[in-house]
Amino acid sequence: MKIHYYPGCTLKQKTTALDISTREAMKRLDIELVEPEGWSCCGAEYPLTEEKIAGLAAPIRVLRQVRDEGGDVLVTTCSFCFAVLKRADKAIKDDPLKHKRINAYLRDDIQINPLTKERTTGFEDYNGEVKVLHLLEFLRDRVGYLKIRERLKRDLKGLAVAPYYGCRVLRPQKEMAVDEPDSPRLFEEFLQAVGCAAVDYPFKQECCGSYLSVSLPAAATEASYRVLRSARMNGAKAVAVTCPLCFYNMDHRQDAIKETFLDFTGLPVVFFTQLLAWALGVEKSMLGLGEHRVPADSLFSEAPATEVRT
Amino acid sequence: MTAKTENKEKRIGLFVCHCGVNIAGVVDVEKVAQVLTDSPGVTFSTDYVYMCSDPGQQMIIDTIKEKHLDGIVVAACSPTLHEKTFREAARLAGLNPYQIEIANIREQDSWVHTDKEKATKKAVKIVKSHVAKARQNENLDPIRVDVTRRALVIGGGVSGLQAALDIADQGCEVVLVERSPSIGGKMIQLSETFPTLDCSQCILTPKMVEVSRHPRIKLLTCHEVDSISGFVGNFKVRIKKKPRYVDETLCNLCAECEKVCPQVVPDEFNMGLSFRKAIYMPFPQAIPGTYTLDAEHCLGLNPVRCGKCKDVCDKKAIDYDMKEKIVEEEVGAVVVATGYDLYTMQALGEYGGEKYEDVVNGLEFERILSASGPTGGVMRRPSDGKVPKSIVFVQCSGSRDTEKHLPYCSKICCMYTAKHAMMYRHRVPDGQATVFYIDVRTGGKSFDEFYMRAVEEDKVLYIRGKVSKIFKEGDKLIVWGVDTLTGKKVEVEADMVVLAMAIVKADGVQNLVKKLKISTDIHGFLAEAHPKLRPVESLNAGFYLAGCAHGPKDIPETVAQASAAAAKVGDLFAQKELLHEPTIVPVNDELCSGCGICVTMCPYAARTLDPARGVVVVKEILCEGCGACAAACPSGAAQQRNQTDDQIFSMLRAMLRE
Repeated sequence: MKIHYYPGCTLKQKTTALDISTREAMKRLDIELVEPEGWSCCGAEYPLTEEKIAGLAAPIRVLRQVRDEGGDVLVTTCSFCFAVLKRADKAIKDDPLKHKRINAYLRDDIQINPLTKERTTGFEDYNGEVKVLHLLEFLRDRVGYLKIRERLKRDLKGLAVAPYYGCRVLRPQKEMAVDEPDSPRLFEEFLQAVGCAAVDYPFKQECCGSYLSVSLPAAATEASYRVLRSARMNGAKAVAVTCPLCFYNMDHRQDAIKETFLDFTGLPVVFFTQLLAWALGVEKSMLGLGEHRVPADSLFSEAPATEVRT
Repeated sequence: MTAKTENKEKRIGLFVCHCGVNIAGVVDVEKVAQVLTDSPGVTFSTDYVYMCSDPGQQMIIDTIKEKHLDGIVVAACSPTLHEKTFREAARLAGLNPYQIEIANIREQDSWVHTDKEKATKKAVKIVKSHVAKARQNENLDPIRVDVTRRALVIGGGVSGLQAALDIADQGCEVVLVERSPSIGGKMIQLSETFPTLDCSQCILTPKMVEVSRHPRIKLLTCHEVDSISGFVGNFKVRIKKKPRYVDETLCNLCAECEKVCPQVVPDEFNMGLSFRKAIYMPFPQAIPGTYTLDAEHCLGLNPVRCGKCKDVCDKKAIDYDMKEKIVEEEVGAVVVATGYDLYTMQALGEYGGEKYEDVVNGLEFERILSASGPTGGVMRRPSDGKVPKSIVFVQCSGSRDTEKHLPYCSKICCMYTAKHAMMYRHRVPDGQATVFYIDVRTGGKSFDEFYMRAVEEDKVLYIRGKVSKIFKEGDKLIVWGVDTLTGKKVEVEADMVVLAMAIVKADGVQNLVKKLKISTDIHGFLAEAHPKLRPVESLNAGFYLAGCAHGPKDIPETVAQASAAAAKVGDLFAQKELLHEPTIVPVNDELCSGCGICVTMCPYAARTLDPARGVVVVKEILCEGCGACAAACPSGAAQQRNQTDDQIFSMLRAMLRE
């Protein structure tokens, strides 16, 4: 299966672990990932003001490119990219005025091939032809858990993992329409499919602090602490995330969390794709574990740990 | 019905109403009256400021007599308002009331236009068309039918009980059908009732006993309405008798069967907070006072498999071979009092769905408060039986939420939450009661005083804001909310949470309304005929509404509505015979080809195909004169009285001819 894949900027720069583990895992499932040519940043935040139409031009441009390359599905793993692409696509479909204005911007688009200097113009309007899927959704709906189970090479032996949705995947429900936001099953079913036990805990959809990490780090520290603490209290040996920013706040910020909240003793944070890749037999060196601030190696030992020292 | 009915000699009188300035402000009424003088058939034409006033009506009566008029057109407001008035005037003048024709030049003209010239032109056209119709109108007499002075009440909650008692006390017989083993409804499950705090069972059980002893009430519990046919005054009801497996006339309540029954199941009466046996009595005051065997949970109604209850029953009251049965009743009116249910916990994922035992709904809390409840009236939480030291009450759980849940207000929750918090504080004096609310709505006699008592005397803490999330941490429930008066996030630790759950339509009512052919609103509550002026009747004649089946309401309002429905039934039964509009659609046997198209078009099941004669026959009393069949009939055999194809074409010609 050949499928369009949008890594997004962060996966290319700071958080390559998510990107490489995704690629390795998909190889094991015989899925070829194709990046849309000349893709740009999605904009990272979906503009909420009515007037900020220009902010939607970037994600729509990506989607238009996928369509022009003959694709009808675009898969992404980063929660932020997913939210922006999906909401922009929905705006095009639901709001005739936005459709008109965004396409008006993009009609004058000129693309210059950096090598041949060849200019491409005269793009057709984008009308919502591409379906945006989060990788978790793609695995559930297009690949199927049965196929994943058939391909499993390693037994994760019911490792207790707390699924962390964060804020972007489930809400706003009417636009994302991925799962029921208050009692989701998507991530839990995925974890069970790869051999983990999904830990139920009340903070799975609460915010990690997001961009407050920059402007008000103490707030992000506290928000992430509450998530990690709740996961630990409910018996998790690790937290699985889908989003580079969640990962940053909960992994890279864990030293600050420990300093601020003395009762907290640490908990490894992993990407769901690392668990998937590992279960499918990908070598440990291809999981990007070097990027982790909180060591997660012990989760991925050949005799998989049921207890992790943290 | 062709030219022969067109009476060239007919003398039509035209009366154009000003309706103050309602019509005259936009339509030149004098001109309309004057232009029409020359129309064929019009022998008299005038205008007047208020045709519906006494002098206006008198003018019609006098003119009919003086000018020997045999057809009248009143150009005024919508016929839904004053058609009756003018028909009565015609009758007083000795003219057949169906010779009156109303030309609506208000709602369909003056109220929707501003250009006086064009509006006047339109008024002329409207009036001309009605004059053309009036020239062909025939004398008609209402269709008369007898009334069965016997009522069916569906539902044995407080509304059904009240309606049944009132109708029976008026001297008419009542059949009261209740699907569960006992009457009493939701009210019998409540502990105390606001705003007087009298015990719910203490005030309801006398009514239940009265119903069971009333010589004119036939009480059918474990029964469900299966189908209904007929029409107002003359319904035939088929009622399904579900087997109770215990003969209620033999059971002496010795309770031996219950002792030996090995099957333990959650007790519905206590909202699943305690257990009962498969053979059980719903609650001590249940009426009829008899045991009931719950076949779903019994080991199999089979003496080989168990049969313990049958063995110990001295009275031989238990019969495993009881079968479902259909009983038939004839009634003249139906009161639908099917009550309500609560919104489900599962729908409220943000409050844990059904995950947390100590998050209960209002009705469960009533059982915990009740002296006859699972804890004997001692305040204990369901999970571990501890006395809760802090309870959070969440109003509008599922109500008033256009985004995710139900948009309407469930009306009673503000008051019962105040009561719950108050009762909790009485039971646990050192306990903390916190209420989250959007508004506190206390419209009712002595209601606000009651609420203030909860705040001031019982020190209930009210926080204005919604609860966003409830989750468990260790032994405690954590409630996240917002205080919108200070704009701050609030986190409250609680031992227990009570959700003032939204009221929704009763389970299964959608099937019932299909059988009764009565309409509901978009939320499944029964729709009244007019929201202000006919609040207890259904649009389908002969059906009356009472209680929460019609929408959320408290006990006083429910009882008042039930009595009102009973009074309306009394109105119906007081009539010697029922009169039905004669403007129905009969069948011309000579023209009818028996194609049956009209049978499928009829929404009232008034038309059937007579296979022997190959023509359609009409049950006149069922025909509501909607005209769907007349429009569909390919041969012209279905002609509506005083609205024939001929008349419609005459109207069109009159209107379109300049």
